[in-house]
Amino acid sequence: MKLCVRKFFTIRKMLSFFLLLSIAYASWCCYYKIKYWGFTTSPKEVTDIWTIEAKISFKALKGDVSVDLSLPTNKDNFEILSEEIIADGYAVSHDKNNNKVTFKGENKKGKQNLYYRLNIYDDFQKEFSGVLEPQKIKRPILAEEEKAQMNKIWELAELQKGDKVQRAIKTVNQEMANPSMSLVLPLKHTAKEYAEKMIQILAYKRIPSRIVRAVKLEEGKKTEKPDIMLEAYYDNKWILYDLNTANIGLPKNWIVFQRGGVSLLDVHGGEDSKVMFSVLKSVATPLKMAEYRAKNNKFVVPYEYSVYSLPILEQNTLKWLMIFPLAILVVVIMRNVIGVSTMGTFTPMLVAMALVKTGLVSGLVCFSVMIFLGLLMRAMVARLNLLLVPRISFVVIFVILLIQVLTVVGYRLNYEIISSAIFFPIIITAWIIERASITWEEEGARNTLKEIFNTLITALITYVVISSEYVRHIMFAFNEFNLVILFIVMLLGTYTGYRLTELMRFAPLVNNKE
Amino acid sequence: MFGWFKIAKKLKKLGVLGMNERNYAVIAKNNKRSLYTLVDDKVKTKKLANKVCINTPKMIGIIEHQYEVKNLLEIVKGHKTFVIKPAHGSGGKGVLVIKEHNGEEFINASGDVLSFDDVYQHISNTLSGLFSLGGKYDVALIEETVNFSKVFKDFSYHGVPDVRVIVYKGYPAMVMMRLATKESGGRANLHQGAVGVGLDVRSGRTLNAVMHNKPVVIHPDTGANLMELKVPFWREHLLIGAMAYDMTGLGYLGADIVLDKERGPMMLEINARPGLAIQIANGVGLRDRLKEIDTYPQNLSAEQRIDWVLNYEK
Repeated sequence: MKLCVRKFFTIRKMLSFFLLLSIAYASWCCYYKIKYWGFTTSPKEVTDIWTIEAKISFKALKGDVSVDLSLPTNKDNFEILSEEIIADGYAVSHDKNNNKVTFKGENKKGKQNLYYRLNIYDDFQKEFSGVLEPQKIKRPILAEEEKAQMNKIWELAELQKGDKVQRAIKTVNQEMANPSMSLVLPLKHTAKEYAEKMIQILAYKRIPSRIVRAVKLEEGKKTEKPDIMLEAYYDNKWILYDLNTANIGLPKNWIVFQRGGVSLLDVHGGEDSKVMFSVLKSVATPLKMAEYRAKNNKFVVPYEYSVYSLPILEQNTLKWLMIFPLAILVVVIMRNVIGVSTMGTFTPMLVAMALVKTGLVSGLVCFSVMIFLGLLMRAMVARLNLLLVPRISFVVIFVILLIQVLTVVGYRLNYEIISSAIFFPIIITAWIIERASITWEEEGARNTLKEIFNTLITALITYVVISSEYVRHIMFAFNEFNLVILFIVMLLGTYTGYRLTELMRFAPLVNNKE
Repeated sequence: MFGWFKIAKKLKKLGVLGMNERNYAVIAKNNKRSLYTLVDDKVKTKKLANKVCINTPKMIGIIEHQYEVKNLLEIVKGHKTFVIKPAHGSGGKGVLVIKEHNGEEFINASGDVLSFDDVYQHISNTLSGLFSLGGKYDVALIEETVNFSKVFKDFSYHGVPDVRVIVYKGYPAMVMMRLATKESGGRANLHQGAVGVGLDVRSGRTLNAVMHNKPVVIHPDTGANLMELKVPFWREHLLIGAMAYDMTGLGYLGADIVLDKERGPMMLEINARPGLAIQIANGVGLRDRLKEIDTYPQNLSAEQRIDWVLNYEK
């Protein structure tokens, strides 16, 4: 016995070790999936997908046409899912280095429409990465009076808060209406002119800057003009500034289309050109997004060999399977720790699975009806003294016919409660009926009802655990936890403590002693 | 919740063996799986027992195939009473005792009259595996009824009272007697309401008696004082248990023994996974007994082991 105990401990230690190992592995996978694939712990979370359509329209001047459109890059906080170009009769070339798409058409006449469609999503993991260092810039050559005004602006800027660029922007915003600054700050101006002015002011202090054209992502937005922002090279990095508020950085849900002096749209051989942006929002689950996220990662292999790369049908089947280990764990706990005896080891689990599909109340009602009718039929057949296998076969076939009838009737009468019969496992149902009727004959109605009750209670507890969308999502999205369950189950296989029901059973031993 | 922990702690202190511990630390360690077939098949057990001269009820015949069932009357010719058992049954399931018959009407243990068809059906069910573990095809064993000793007449309501000896490593560890009651329907299963009487291993006298897990002193149906119970041929009872160990090699087993008027103690069956209710009947936990037996010598013969137990001074 002593030797047994020692041996027992090593097995237990070994299993505990593997359990810890599996927990560590599962946790790491969890971290990896959340960080790199964007998985979430909640099944309801979705990622916004923005569809931005740039519609270029212009009038062709009878001849060859060339159109350049600046494109967003995925260097900012958005990741590009897919691009789509609709341009009938145009040759399209995509210049990835300069973030430009060029449409070339021959012998075009009249109104032309070109479409560029972009699907992007918010990529939270992406860091805002600056681009190349700017070239040294020259101070603008200014007349004396202009110089004085410029100096005045920078003087005033000292009074503002923020970094140098922010201070300048704030000052300019304040002094805009000031006639004494009219040489540097024109009273009337477009957003673009304003930005160009700002560039000049910054250049005076040898701060390189450039215009940024960005589109704010708003559901259903339609605009002809992208918003203009300013990017300045300050503190050895490019920083984006909002010209109205002097805030730093790209606000959430903005996408940069174009940077620098080149124009957003360049049309040769056409007139009245304009580009119209429209924005649409849609949502996608993290599991769907994982593919794109994983593909943007250098290390794609883990994704390609994961269940999430399978076709949806297979995924759904596996998602259903992934919940089994948890249900099995419940059964193991119910039997070996709680000590409830049920009809068949995994019967309660299969009933619970069916309940998930049917819904609790309708499933229970329907199941009870089926068991009741089955028992009734079985009791009648009992008198025929059939042999065992044909008798069970009879019950199975009866259950199949019953399911058919109930489903049809339920469907016709629009009674979902009845038609949910179709989800119950046939053999299990038949077996419960057979077992119950035998127990009834041998051990009486009380024991039968007790067994059915135990089975249903276990099924209900299993149902509570697995019916949660949340739990199902986690067991699928972080399916490594099934490995943890495996070792928990094995460890429970070495549990030698009392079962809960045994405490009640043996309680007389304690009480009688006292 | 807290109360439960308290009970668990106390039970542990009393050395009560739980199902998990029994399965993991006792059965799995002491009973080789390959030995189970020796005791799961009653025909095999009986043949084995005959070889080593353990007394068992005489076998009348076996019905192995469905077509043989109609020959039942031929098989039991000359036997007024007989018992039909599934060879792979457990817990007394499917045991049909025929106390009397005239070839058409059969009277079972509780006095009900069965037709030949009923008996026929019962055997058919047995063959098709209704009573066997896992529903496998089975064999119906027909043997003589035990002519049970009058000693226990007042202690049992119908049925045959039997002695269950838990044998650990060849030593009897704990003993109880199971007495049928009206409620248990002539059966000796404690969970069906039979009385369990814990017996002192060394004397065969009552230590404690329970029914439905509660202490009882008087048999509910016969009114006999359970405390006065003393099993005769006690040494022979224990010896059967000890020999069952030698015969099967199972380190932990339960031997069911009945007392026949003429032939003395007879072994009915051996169980490789005997239940734990015996602890309640005895009012004592098993674990300490098993630990104690671990210190006993391991190389004695069955007779010597019984002598050892009977003369052991604590």
